[in-house]
Amino acid sequence: MVNVHKRRRFMAVVALTAASGIALSACSSGSDADPSASGSSGGGEAASGEDVTLDFAFWGNDVRADMYTQSIDLFMEEYPNITVNSTFLDYPAFWEKRQTEAAGGGLPDVMQFDYSYLRQYSENGLLLDLAPYLGNEIATDGLSEQILGIGVVGDQTTGIATSTNAWGMYTNPQLLESAGVEEFGGGSWDDYKSWVAEVTEASGGEVFGGTDYTGRIQNFEVQLRAEGKNLFNEDGTPGFDEARLAEFWESGADMRGEDGSGISQQKLEEIYPVSGFGSALTASELTWDNFGAGYLGELGESYTELGLVAPPVTVEGAKDLYLKPSMLHSVSASTEHPAEAAMLVDFLVNSPEVGAIFGTNRGLPASTTMQEGMTFEGLDAQIRDYEESVADRLGDAPPVPLVGYGTLEEKFRVLGTELGFGTVTVEDAVSQFFSEMDVVLNS
Amino acid sequence: MTGRGDVWVKHDSDQERVVQPRPYWNRKRVTTLIWFVALAILTAIVIYPLIWLLFATFKPSSEFGQNQGLIPDQPTIDNYIKVMDGIAGVPMWRFFANSAIIAIAATVGTVLSSAMAAYAFARIRFKGVGIFFTAMIGTLLLPFHVVIIPQYIMFNKLDMIDTYWPLLLPKFLATEAFFVFLMVQFMRGIPREMDEAARVDGAGHVRTFGSIMLPLIQPALVTSAIFSFIWTWNDFLAPLMYITSPEKYPLPIALRLYNDQTSTSDYGATVAASFLALVPILLFFLVFQRFLVAGVATQGLKG
Amino acid sequence: MVTSTAHRVDEDTRQKAPAPHHAEVAVSQKQRHWRESLAGYGFLAPWLVGFFGLTLGPMLYSLYLSFTRYNLFQPPQWIGFDNYIRLFTDDPNFTQSVKITLIYVLVGTPIKLAAALGVAMLLNYRDRGAGFFRSSFYAPSLIGASVSVAIVWRAMFSADGPVDNTLSIFGITIGGWVGNVALVVPMMILLAVWQFGAPMVIFLAGLKQVPRELYEAADMDGAGPVKKFRSITLPMLSSVVFFNLLLELIGAFQVFSSAYIISNGTGGPAGMTNFYTLYLYKRAFSDGQMGYASAMAWVLLIVVAIIAFVLFRTSKSWVHYQGENR
Repeated sequence: MVNVHKRRRFMAVVALTAASGIALSACSSGSDADPSASGSSGGGEAASGEDVTLDFAFWGNDVRADMYTQSIDLFMEEYPNITVNSTFLDYPAFWEKRQTEAAGGGLPDVMQFDYSYLRQYSENGLLLDLAPYLGNEIATDGLSEQILGIGVVGDQTTGIATSTNAWGMYTNPQLLESAGVEEFGGGSWDDYKSWVAEVTEASGGEVFGGTDYTGRIQNFEVQLRAEGKNLFNEDGTPGFDEARLAEFWESGADMRGEDGSGISQQKLEEIYPVSGFGSALTASELTWDNFGAGYLGELGESYTELGLVAPPVTVEGAKDLYLKPSMLHSVSASTEHPAEAAMLVDFLVNSPEVGAIFGTNRGLPASTTMQEGMTFEGLDAQIRDYEESVADRLGDAPPVPLVGYGTLEEKFRVLGTELGFGTVTVEDAVSQFFSEMDVVLNS
Repeated sequence: MTGRGDVWVKHDSDQERVVQPRPYWNRKRVTTLIWFVALAILTAIVIYPLIWLLFATFKPSSEFGQNQGLIPDQPTIDNYIKVMDGIAGVPMWRFFANSAIIAIAATVGTVLSSAMAAYAFARIRFKGVGIFFTAMIGTLLLPFHVVIIPQYIMFNKLDMIDTYWPLLLPKFLATEAFFVFLMVQFMRGIPREMDEAARVDGAGHVRTFGSIMLPLIQPALVTSAIFSFIWTWNDFLAPLMYITSPEKYPLPIALRLYNDQTSTSDYGATVAASFLALVPILLFFLVFQRFLVAGVATQGLKG
Repeated sequence: MVTSTAHRVDEDTRQKAPAPHHAEVAVSQKQRHWRESLAGYGFLAPWLVGFFGLTLGPMLYSLYLSFTRYNLFQPPQWIGFDNYIRLFTDDPNFTQSVKITLIYVLVGTPIKLAAALGVAMLLNYRDRGAGFFRSSFYAPSLIGASVSVAIVWRAMFSADGPVDNTLSIFGITIGGWVGNVALVVPMMILLAVWQFGAPMVIFLAGLKQVPRELYEAADMDGAGPVKKFRSITLPMLSSVVFFNLLLELIGAFQVFSSAYIISNGTGGPAGMTNFYTLYLYKRAFSDGQMGYASAMAWVLLIVVAIIAFVLFRTSKSWVHYQGENR
């Protein structure tokens, strides 16, 4: 470790003296991307007991920040020699800042991490392999193999999942009642579409049954998984061709547009930043099951409960759903205090007290040790029960998202809105998505 | 644009009033009335969105997206109560204080350094001034997003991350070409007789700059100070890059912390906090805008 | 490019150099030259340090990056002109983004400047209540780039919003601008025009420098308002008009914050707010294509530089500096 830092400082001097920026880049990537930087620490350094300061970064709003502040205070009480400085931002700003730090050297010691960025940071050697600390600083009794497997990229454990979520469908019982339509009772995607149309019609167009689900790449993924394929394979190749994507987008045609059975894109634009479901304009929404609290917040006091049911079925008996880490905790490869950093990760992932503070704010806790500290009520209990109820549809998690997955997910969403506006044909949308995929997969 | 024609009527009416008081007095009153009504209507249009924003601060969070009208269905002051609580243990006044410190220091730095550079560009003839002027304009043209990372690397090497130096140092070094150029343009508008007279009397550039040029371009200085203060007050990207401790965050970052697309967003608190953030700069503008008018000193001197 | 102006500054200074005077006769030409240089570099010192220390390096680095593939994590890889080729031959998003940016610049800038000048002249007419009016007109420009702007603006332009309701009085029904793809760019232009405070204040400051005696003299000659506007106001204001025109053009080409906020950084709906700099930003930070983004930045720089060059060139014929126009 010492060598690495000496070298970095030396490079820094070189970079500063060289007027051209070319040396700068050589520096930043040269030291950070060196995988041996973390490997050299071997079996993991033990905590020294000396006074240590850790930087910790997370994204979230003021509510989550309060929770972390309380948790970190507990941690510092338990380990008086460790001081934790935490910093937080909203999600997009958080990642912009991390990107800059990654390029410029200087990621925080411990970070809340997102699944879609895990591969990118791991493969570039920016995250510490936590495997040596598992079972030591990081207790694993509460973490199943499946959970631990989520944070493995290549052969390194670069992230520990704090919590998981599953794809599901939220419904608004109050809207359904006033429309006089029963809760969606399961069935195929076509059944769902007719149910949506029924709600829209029954409410006289005041409320919509749902949103065109083909705008979300996750729905496409659920369908592909049911057919035994991945959205993207481990090697980054897509598990679908143009025809399959075109078929998927075509299938949403009767939900789109002014006369569609779903809410129009125009309406959604007007109420942004609030969502259609959060504005009580749609009665159902396919999304991750940890979004419930946000919806209840948007809906306000006049709506007290939500329905949470399984997404439509593509192929009977298929394992089309999976548990996704709603977030992970990772340690920077360049941390000077890996053992203490691992202890912080352990505390934030496993501690029952932390569980009591957070509830399901970060998703359903992945660690059973943490769950022991929690009392499940209301929406929390509903989410836990939901994940139990779809247990036989839960399959293995797909490969860790490829580098650039975020770009493709966003492109997919944007093309979905354009289809909604009718500014692009399905054929054009498919070709645009594939050309974007070319760029992402080849860079 | 009705005003364009009216603007110039003022002076003759004053003069001719003596000769034919009544009709001209009426005409003047009519023009003033038209002027006033035109301005009032324009003001109402321009200010309405801000009024809407003010009313929206009394809407509970759930009304956003459900009630797009002006009047809250269920008015509440909860948003303000929440904002007053601060964020994650950092009191709200702290964000205001941070913003004020940064904005004041940045304004002083910008006005001083830009005025100096502008004087050199506008009034001193020396080798290289042409190339430097071109380079200065050139810095305006590059979208700043692509220089973020190299600049971050530099400040990181200088160990200035999580301090206000990366935010303030550039201001004291006149890196904002906008202000340099603005002052150059104003200095060029100043008749040369004024500073030449001083030079001829034996004043050096320092004295000419300090006691002749600066007073003459007062409107430009005030304008620059106002802009610099407001833009720094509202700047988001630079603090995002360089400040990590929440207790050092300025307001624009704090304002975003009520929203998280990945969990819950409190639009009521966001709107209330945005409105509160508007108040100090509105007061700042109210206080300093009067000096925009005071810069008429040149008139009497221009011959 | 701008050297032409700088030359003029030189010539200008030369012509107007003070006539030899008893105090200066003793000082030799060379000494004076040396002293001028010393003063020049002295006054320019902070800017020079800032330029060479903070600005030039990163600028050149971005130029280098534009010829590389750089994902922020791995060292940049030299790929020659590939980024530029991809921009012009194989990127529909780029074409779309150039299109809407040009509309925004060409339509928005003149409207914004006309509004700013018009209101500035109105404000300059009488002093009564001027402080209040000035502040009101500037107020929209005070609001920072927060999601509040997005919330307010959407409410204004939604179906049944005040804009729609006002238009319906005149028999125009639109039914919501926000969700209408064709009206998003006009809406963004109106947002820019709404925040016309900065050029307005600069015009005001310029108007304050126009000597009233000129108008009085024109009145004596019986000149009408249009004539006075064209023969006094515009020429006297020309250096300020030039400044505002150039800076607003540059600013409009680089429009970012408002598009970022209104679209939550996505450039939507349907890519209609995907203005040049926003697209560049997304490529750089969301997609990790810093090399590509740098190429975009330099294309923009060159385009704007050409426009600036033309403006500086033509400014000779229509911008009058009092310093040289005696």
